[in-house]
Amino acid sequence: MSTTSPLPGSSIDYQLLLDCVHCGLCTAACPTYVETGDENDSPRGRIYLMRGVIDGRLPLDDHVRGHLDLCLDCRACETACPSGVQYGKLIEPFRIEMEQLAGSKAKSDDWFHRYILFGMFPYPEMMRKALIPARIAQVLKLDRLVERLGLLRLLPTPLRRLVQMLPPLKAAEPPLPAVLPAKGKQRARVALFTGCVSDALFRHTNWATARVLQENGCEVVVPQSQGCCGAIHFHAGSSQPARELADANVAAFDLDECDAVIVNVAGCGAMLKDYGHHWDDADRSRRSDFAAKVRDVHEFLDELGLIPPTGRLDLTATYHDACHLAHAQQITQQPRNLLGQIPGLTLKPLPETDLCCGAAGTYNLTQPEMSERLSRRKLDNILSTGAGVVVTANAGCLLQIAQQARRGGHRLDVLHPMDLLDLSYRGLSLP
Amino acid sequence: MTTTNPLPLTETLAPGDIDALVDVVRDCCASQTPLYPIGGATALDYGRTPQQPGIGLSLSGLNRVVDYPASDMTITVEPGITMGQLRETLAGERQELPIDVPQSDAATIGGVVATALAGPRCYGLGTIRDYVIGISAVDGRGTPFKGGGRVVKNVAGYDFCKLLTGSLGSLGVIVQLTLRLRPIPEKSALVVCDVSDSEMAERILAALVNSGTTPVAIELLAGPAWQNDPVLGDLPGGAAGRIAVGVSGTATEVDWMIEQLQREWNQQHVTGVRAISDAPADELWSRIVEFPAADAPLVIQSSVRPSDVTGLVEECRGADEACSVVSHAGSGIILARFAEVPNDDVARLINNTLRPAAVTADGSLVVLSTNLGNQTHQTIWGGRTDATVVMESVRRQFDPQRLLNPGRFFRD
Amino acid sequence: MVTTASPVTAELTAALRDVLGDAAVLTAESDRAVYECDGFVIDKNRPDVVVFPRSSEQVAAIVRLCNEHNVVYVPRGAGTSLAGGCLPVGGGVMVVLTRMKDILEINLRDRYAVVEPGVVNVWLTKALAGSGYHYAPDPSSQGACTLGGNVATNSGGPHTLKYGVTVNHVLGVEAVMPDGSIVEFGGPSQQQFGLDLVGALVGSEGTLAIVTKAWVRLTRDPEGYRTMLGVFDSIDDTTNTISEIIAAGIIPAALEMMDQGIIGALEEAFHFGFPLDAEAVLLIEVDGLEAGLDEQRDQIVELCKKNGAREVRQAADAKERQLLWKCRKQAFGAVGRLSPSYCTQDGVVPRTKLPHMLRRIKEIGIKHDVRIVNVFHAGDGNLHPIVLFDERDAEQTKRVLLASHEILDECLACGGSVTGEHGIGVEKIDFMKKMFNEDDLAAMARLREAFNPQGLLSVGKMLPTSGACGLEQKHPGRRAAL
Repeated sequence: MSTTSPLPGSSIDYQLLLDCVHCGLCTAACPTYVETGDENDSPRGRIYLMRGVIDGRLPLDDHVRGHLDLCLDCRACETACPSGVQYGKLIEPFRIEMEQLAGSKAKSDDWFHRYILFGMFPYPEMMRKALIPARIAQVLKLDRLVERLGLLRLLPTPLRRLVQMLPPLKAAEPPLPAVLPAKGKQRARVALFTGCVSDALFRHTNWATARVLQENGCEVVVPQSQGCCGAIHFHAGSSQPARELADANVAAFDLDECDAVIVNVAGCGAMLKDYGHHWDDADRSRRSDFAAKVRDVHEFLDELGLIPPTGRLDLTATYHDACHLAHAQQITQQPRNLLGQIPGLTLKPLPETDLCCGAAGTYNLTQPEMSERLSRRKLDNILSTGAGVVVTANAGCLLQIAQQARRGGHRLDVLHPMDLLDLSYRGLSLP
Repeated sequence: MTTTNPLPLTETLAPGDIDALVDVVRDCCASQTPLYPIGGATALDYGRTPQQPGIGLSLSGLNRVVDYPASDMTITVEPGITMGQLRETLAGERQELPIDVPQSDAATIGGVVATALAGPRCYGLGTIRDYVIGISAVDGRGTPFKGGGRVVKNVAGYDFCKLLTGSLGSLGVIVQLTLRLRPIPEKSALVVCDVSDSEMAERILAALVNSGTTPVAIELLAGPAWQNDPVLGDLPGGAAGRIAVGVSGTATEVDWMIEQLQREWNQQHVTGVRAISDAPADELWSRIVEFPAADAPLVIQSSVRPSDVTGLVEECRGADEACSVVSHAGSGIILARFAEVPNDDVARLINNTLRPAAVTADGSLVVLSTNLGNQTHQTIWGGRTDATVVMESVRRQFDPQRLLNPGRFFRD
Repeated sequence: MVTTASPVTAELTAALRDVLGDAAVLTAESDRAVYECDGFVIDKNRPDVVVFPRSSEQVAAIVRLCNEHNVVYVPRGAGTSLAGGCLPVGGGVMVVLTRMKDILEINLRDRYAVVEPGVVNVWLTKALAGSGYHYAPDPSSQGACTLGGNVATNSGGPHTLKYGVTVNHVLGVEAVMPDGSIVEFGGPSQQQFGLDLVGALVGSEGTLAIVTKAWVRLTRDPEGYRTMLGVFDSIDDTTNTISEIIAAGIIPAALEMMDQGIIGALEEAFHFGFPLDAEAVLLIEVDGLEAGLDEQRDQIVELCKKNGAREVRQAADAKERQLLWKCRKQAFGAVGRLSPSYCTQDGVVPRTKLPHMLRRIKEIGIKHDVRIVNVFHAGDGNLHPIVLFDERDAEQTKRVLLASHEILDECLACGGSVTGEHGIGVEKIDFMKKMFNEDDLAAMARLREAFNPQGLLSVGKMLPTSGACGLEQKHPGRRAAL
């Protein structure tokens, strides 16, 4: 065996693979399986493939790679699994090792991953600056012109998709200050995690989140040296840069000074809560302590007891369950509970609400075809409800759904629950 | 249906046990003599009248209760037990087989399974196919075989219970049956209203799909047979018929459903609404159940989508305005009793008018009985389809010499 | 019966690609691996080619090609069979129906829906949400299993006591026959005349034809529910309660029993607050008209107490109902906490034999020195004893097998069946000879011959045929939900 190259998956605890009893109850929860009907694209199938490779029964060929790369890492399968299989703990390390072993062929080593995804995404300021031309172009309606003239086709595909993903950008808002005081009687002191992509694209939502927390008697501190959560890197198989980002965040937050670390983006929240599991080294317990304090904003407010907002919003909305909230964090009822307290708001049930919208971190950039299929499916489901507003708590989902709606020419407002709550607290209506 | 035996019998044997019955079948097999299983002789004119002379095989000697573990709510019986005897046996334990058939004092459980005709309560409680959980039969070679068992849930092997139910004795002679049972409901009642025309009938029937009540039967009654009913009285002028809804359950449930249905119907401005229970309800119920057994030149049964019932009833009444109808309308089943068939031409009426109407409604239509001469296979059952071709190959496997009830369902 | 089928040739594969397109034909070794077994993992065999038809016509074309090339083929849905129903015995072509997944029609006025075989059971339920109607059969795997698979195995579930199994809800099917023709049996209307081939096809485990469409009956949603959970100090008290509820003329929508072993695991996992010394809990649910439910609930509570129930919990609202059901639904997941491996059986006995059967299961466990816990559909007498073991211990594994078989033999001795809902598949082929005599099996073989004279469809399933003997089990399966 010494002559053969090492196999991926060597770091995976084999017992975790054995937890899967091959019952297949996860299959229909998997968005890619629902689309392709091929069990190789299902959680049970992927576990079988990984185990086959680890056991040396199957070659790690392009077929196996393709099926594993197609995984959204949405973790819907973990919700469905009766045996408690920790699928994330299988696919994530396996893909990392698959990357590492592939050497220069690795997908994260191309220019797009190197310069755009990893080089820019984690740094909000860099992203904000990079977005300035886009913002100007949007104001001048140049983007439409470029699209119409087909000039976009001159860009490399992933970059083109990235440009297309951009929502109509709002006017630049100032960064959040280091401290925002509680309104009324103080009930808690919380630290707000502001993220990278979300702070660049959705700073207004960060402001909204802070204001909603203030309305609920929370003093909000915003550690200024925080950065990207590292999820993008980790899910793309780059473990080391992710660890560095994690450690930077752990250092940025003073846990003794806050009751909770609040996060408003599902993907970041899932990552922050997992800091304690990902790396087994000397700093593990510090990361675990940090993770233990992390609360999704909906989870936190629902538990704290929302002070009901009073501004009427006569809207019909539907709520889309972001995978990293519903599956990775098992948070489904809390956002609905909060939204249900907005006067005038009608919440319609969304068919297949917990099926991934195809955004899945950077999946929409790396697996455009499947992403497109899922996103069209999501939009069809949304349109079937007749709602004019879609509410969801993840940056990727917000971008993905909004883009799909724009392309289909549908008038659809896509908002974070905090945006709506903020409007209601401030007595404003939808712009 | 008639009580005169239309079968071309040379003799009738009544074996007293299964071994003796097997011997009879084997003898017939050896001599290639057709064999006609006979239960209560209440449905002998159902299907095409067989032509080949043969031996009558009466099941009257096989009429025992084999096992009745009442707490399991199952019973194992021989086929010759009458529905009446079965009802009495079960009533002792406050249980029932909720299958309603005409002439139940004569009709046997074996015959009921072999013919599998739906009764009014099929809407809420299913048909006989839903109650047979074990079956033993003797095939056309004289070989006994069985399927299912004595437990209510069982998926081991092919479901011979279903295969033999409704097979009109053409695959094997049924020699033992295990049935699942239900508790006798505490109370039952009928809620009745008048309907002026088809459109109104369909409106009421469609609304019943979303009724707050849970009926066990939804019956549409039309034609002269229902004009002067001893229970319901005369139909008011202009009314084409009535709808009767059967409800059963605990007394509380039934009382609530009676009120609820009356409320719903009043909101729909339905007329002639009234509830009947006890003896009058029993009397009306019995008239509904016995309806197809009355002497008539032609009785047909059709099964269509429930929403097509009123259309087909109109078709029947258009062909013969003296035609009377009982329709288990909730389930899309129509029994039509004709008083007059134009030119006595049954074939023409069935093949050119009624059956095409049923087939258009994704349904089927068969002749239950007629005294207007011997009809062709085509007229009684309709043409061969891809499905009947498969049925024929199943038949060949179980009765290769085609000795069991030849000509009745299959074109032997 | 075919004695010698041919191997899959490049010619056949090319022809399949012509009919279905490249994306619907898998031939690579690594693409086919996952199709070598279903929820039953004891025996495996890789199909030579896996195809994904999108229409009945494509299924028919596949069948005709298999006939031309004398190649065996087997249909597959979601592959959740616990009995190896989808095992491609002899390899050949695996026809995966998951891309035929449209709900073709929902007709509420006439109370039926028309579905393709790849529609997942719960999709139909979701599509009907809010309509006042539902599709009644709800096997525990309903989140994943397909309706085509349900039709093939005549699936049950926790609600069969009141609502029946799949066959009671199928009005008609369209099937591709083994000769490649497409035939409709039954349809949207209630009554069929002639032989009930719909009834014969449902539960035939894919051995007679490939069902490509089904007309299923829709059932009115109950107006309300009353859910109770009785905690008992003895198994006999529990089973007596079951009998008395039924004898009182109540037909519960569900009647599920869990024994002490399961209670312990559930307590450890979810802290429901069950007394750990309780011998059994009984989950009872009645549904129907609000008008009658309180009366039935009171009657049941009284019967539980009369039979020595220590405590009867009642769900006050939908949320509490969910909580009571949670302990039943999570039971199998929790078993994973008791041991690294487990296997379950699917025996059925007459309800009144339950006390005897549970005693025997206990004795059998002691005799073979294996731990057995029980969670099952008590109302139907459908047992799912779970035998706990560690598959790395070969000697213990052997004892597990002996114990499992002894339990099934006991079910048969009680006049029961070796499978209530999982099917025979390849797993229980040997038991067919114990349940049925040679004449019975010959009759079954004749039915198969009538449909499937070519003998290329689903070979080696359900019927023990001469020569091709059943699987020799060396290793028990490991199962999740039931």
